[in-house]
Amino acid sequence: MTSLNPSSGAPRRRPRRRFNSAYLFVAPSVVLIAVFIAEPILQSAWMSLHDWTIGSADNPFTGLANYRSLWQDSRFWNALRVTAIYTAAVTVGQVGLGLAIASRLRRTTWYSSLLRTAYFFPFVASLVVVGIVWKFLLDPQVGLIDAWLGDLGVSNPPQWLQSTSLALPTVIVVGIWKNVGFTMIVLLAGMQQVPADLYEAAMLDGAGPWRRFTAVTLPALRPALLFTTLIATITGLQLFDLVFAMTGGGPVFSTESVVMYLYQKGFVEFQMGYASAIAWVLFIIILAVSAVQLRVARNRDGD
Amino acid sequence: MSAFSRRGRATCLAAAVAAVTLVAGCGNNGVSTGSSGGVVQLSMLTGFTGPDEASYQALVTEFNQSHPDIHVTMTAEPWATVAQKLPAAWATGGGPDLATPSSDPGSIFNYIKTNSALPLDSAVGTGSGQIDSSAFPSVVRSAFTVDGKLYAVPANMATLVLYYNKDMFAAAGIKTAPTTEAEFIADAKKLTVSSGGKVSQYGLSLADNNTIQMWPILQWMSGGDIVDSKGCATVNSAASISALTQWSQLVIQDHISPIGQAGADADTLFSSKKAAMEINGPWAASGYTSAGINLGMVKVPVGSAGPVTLASTVPLMVERNGPHTAQAEQFLAWYTGKTAQLKFSQISGFPPARTDLGSALSGNATVSLFASALSDAKLYLAGLPESTSIDSDVYVPMIQRIERGANVASATASAATQINKLTGCAS
Repeated sequence: MTSLNPSSGAPRRRPRRRFNSAYLFVAPSVVLIAVFIAEPILQSAWMSLHDWTIGSADNPFTGLANYRSLWQDSRFWNALRVTAIYTAAVTVGQVGLGLAIASRLRRTTWYSSLLRTAYFFPFVASLVVVGIVWKFLLDPQVGLIDAWLGDLGVSNPPQWLQSTSLALPTVIVVGIWKNVGFTMIVLLAGMQQVPADLYEAAMLDGAGPWRRFTAVTLPALRPALLFTTLIATITGLQLFDLVFAMTGGGPVFSTESVVMYLYQKGFVEFQMGYASAIAWVLFIIILAVSAVQLRVARNRDGD
Repeated sequence: MSAFSRRGRATCLAAAVAAVTLVAGCGNNGVSTGSSGGVVQLSMLTGFTGPDEASYQALVTEFNQSHPDIHVTMTAEPWATVAQKLPAAWATGGGPDLATPSSDPGSIFNYIKTNSALPLDSAVGTGSGQIDSSAFPSVVRSAFTVDGKLYAVPANMATLVLYYNKDMFAAAGIKTAPTTEAEFIADAKKLTVSSGGKVSQYGLSLADNNTIQMWPILQWMSGGDIVDSKGCATVNSAASISALTQWSQLVIQDHISPIGQAGADADTLFSSKKAAMEINGPWAASGYTSAGINLGMVKVPVGSAGPVTLASTVPLMVERNGPHTAQAEQFLAWYTGKTAQLKFSQISGFPPARTDLGSALSGNATVSLFASALSDAKLYLAGLPESTSIDSDVYVPMIQRIERGANVASATASAATQINKLTGCAS
């Protein structure tokens, strides 16, 4: 029998490659990503290694000097502390409150629909607009809130945004109020995916409302909870708009976040090298926190 | 239609989309500058978005009418936007020909450091068509002169005076506005009204952030200061500590002013008739009159160190690498000339940026008041390359801490250390 071994016959003809037009279709996206995302990221890493001032003819290479300065910069550590407190408080508050509200509004009735809309409404509004509105409401001289407290007999209403001890908690409360509707909607959608027969089975086993919530609802909501926690954490670490509009980072830096400090260094003092170093430290923190959250969630899934 | 031709057409379409995308990213930056029909087009970016914008536009219009070979187009954007756009725009040579980089005179150092601003020396002189810098107030001339070169002209000039509500003064039984620091303090206390621990009317509206500075005036009145001419801190001098202690106690204990106000908050407090006095510049007058306030204006009361107030000026600069620097300098010469400055004062209420127009202003009481304060006026942190950092990182936080009860001696000592570190003062 004649061998059909292809290697023993005539030299194999290399298949002709045809240009795939799909490359041209993705080209615009690739170009946009390269120009507006990849290149700026690499550029910022490069700038963080230089004493880089906008417009300066001479931007000397300084290695890790910007990072070393950051390590000794008390204002950066203060900004990091403010950001960490805000992120932790807003994430816990937003997810906890969102879960509670979603549980209460799970059944669809006309008033629960109305309340869902009401809770979701602040999320639609611009963060800057929300900040400005709350700044007016909380103004100790012309604001409604202190005026109402005065009417209720409070002789010295709190200086919500002027006090170094109250400004950050106030911003946190507004941050939770702004985003709790988003968490509620995501968790509500997750709850409505839980099969009703799971609850029926649990009831047949004698589980009460709290047991059904912890044994059925919460495990089923794990992906949604992970998603909302991750989003709340990343958004919290990127805190800027709200403090910019409400306090400008004051008083006495008590609400100055890392991004706010980055803005000050980069776009007010034009120290782009230093600002880039801040951006990279923040990026690494966000990456690390997100990785830890994902790892914890996966471990629990494995349980 | 065959599959091949369909593929060919799809390929062409995709290539066209890619090409269009690339080309779309290569537009200009929106700055119109150049020549058309023999007329040189100059662009000027400013931060004058307030009610005074019309006054600047009127001046530009008059220049365009009297100079048919040059056309200036002025745009106004918020100061924060100007501060974000201009450094990169001038560094890449694509920015406006003329610009006011910031309301802070100290901002000029950022542009000098990056070689973005044109030295104006070749256009300086007393002849026709030249920039007569000898007529500028000396504080302005020295603030805009770096290493012997003039880098900016004043786009405007302002001094601060004491605004007061005549009705509140009458209700408190005060017949005349204060002229001395002692009267100022006594009136501020008397005009502060509270009941049940709640203040319903403040004697004075002081701001400590996002504002034209008011606190340095209170220090200067008693002989205090922030930094000396060598760049060394004087904010912890005995006179400064004494002044800051006195005024912070008036705020904390006597509640003559709310704490932690931004400039806009302080203005709102005065215009809503919740404060009887405020230290402010000429830009505020029309708004307060419109708010229905029975307005009085006098020079800042005199303290133990003699008459003093704060001067404010906005630098107007020319892009170093611009294509029409000669025409831009020609505009500056006209803009700072007698005719233009007199007209600007008449329509804006600001004092002129020249010191040789005194008699021509006598018909306008408001302009005369602001102009008369010019001889006693000081610029805040003038001539310091680190002024922006000293203001935002040191002085403003220090005042905020003191207003909230921090020990004045230790707060000023800490601020002095920070200032000396920034300026490099060794003593």
